[in-house]
Amino acid sequence: MNNDFQNTQNDLELESMRQQMTTLKNKLNQQEIVNDHLMRHSMKKTVSDINRTYIWLIVIGLLMVPYGYWAFVKLTGFSMAFWIGTSILMLVCAGATYYNKTRVKDANLMTNNLVDVSRRMARAKKFDADWLFFGIPAIILWLGWFAYESYLIVGNIEQNWLMYGGIIGGIIGAICGFSIHFKTQRQYQDIIDQIEDITAEQ
Amino acid sequence: MGEMIQNRTTMNNLERQFAQTVKEQKSTIYTVCYMFSQDADEVNDLFQEVLVNLWKGFESFEHRSDIRTWIYRVALNTCISLDRKKRRAAETRLTMDINLFEDRDEDTKQVDMLHKRISKLQPFDRAIVLLWLENLSYEEIGQIVGITAKNVSVRLFRIREQLKQMSND
Repeated sequence: MNNDFQNTQNDLELESMRQQMTTLKNKLNQQEIVNDHLMRHSMKKTVSDINRTYIWLIVIGLLMVPYGYWAFVKLTGFSMAFWIGTSILMLVCAGATYYNKTRVKDANLMTNNLVDVSRRMARAKKFDADWLFFGIPAIILWLGWFAYESYLIVGNIEQNWLMYGGIIGGIIGAICGFSIHFKTQRQYQDIIDQIEDITAEQ
Repeated sequence: MGEMIQNRTTMNNLERQFAQTVKEQKSTIYTVCYMFSQDADEVNDLFQEVLVNLWKGFESFEHRSDIRTWIYRVALNTCISLDRKKRRAAETRLTMDINLFEDRDEDTKQVDMLHKRISKLQPFDRAIVLLWLENLSYEEIGQIVGITAKNVSVRLFRIREQLKQMSND
């Protein structure tokens, strides 16, 4: 009799533990993992990388103005028109990069709502992609002009090492530029995808 | 270049699968961590650590066993073996916005009673009773903790005796 009572008491206790477990599960199932903040931090890092790249590009673009004067006009003897053209191209590049940089200020990422951030990122990505429609023809024209200027100075095309050097430099620059461009595009897409993941869960 | 993009796509797919798995199994993972913790910080540390270990093994997990069984195994192994002195530095952590150690509603009081009972058991017994409370069969419990179903039954009998003793005290 006493044994039966103890078994019943034991079963009740285990049953109450099971109920408590169910209560715990119910409480936890109502919770979302707090990943929004973490995601934002991770995106912030990506945006900071993009910003850093943009700052470098702006600095290089601005430095190209005085450096171009020294390298093209003083050292090599290219025309002032070529230097002015190069400077305008560099300033336009720096200006466009600055314009896009303002869209991706990382501080906004922590305060704006994610849909807004996603829109900003999509616009910045599109601007960055569209830039190639100007950038590629501009750099081809610039290389042509560079070749022409070097031809005016050296004369002989076959021995125009200045021109070949410039073209090789241009190709290396283009490869670097494209790799930066594709990396930035990928980073934008990552941020947009992460935001889509978060907003889809809500 | 193509290979890099493909690798990245595979990685993204894997990350999505993992995020989905964690989302589906979050309460399972959190329950295990909670039962092996003494405070809110510890439960968050454990939760984070379990997620890290799950992620490390996720790619190589070949679905030969049930994902829930695998998650239990990783979570319990992590909770039992983690050196508590090695607390993670305060950083942004993936956790749940809940504090079962400080909330004072009626449900949490019930959960706290369960926690108090279970935390008095030895870690191995704690794992077994936890799995039993999750309605896993003796075979499944045995597979997770690495003992036979018969052994699980014997241990559970002893655990019940211990629990009974505790309530008498």
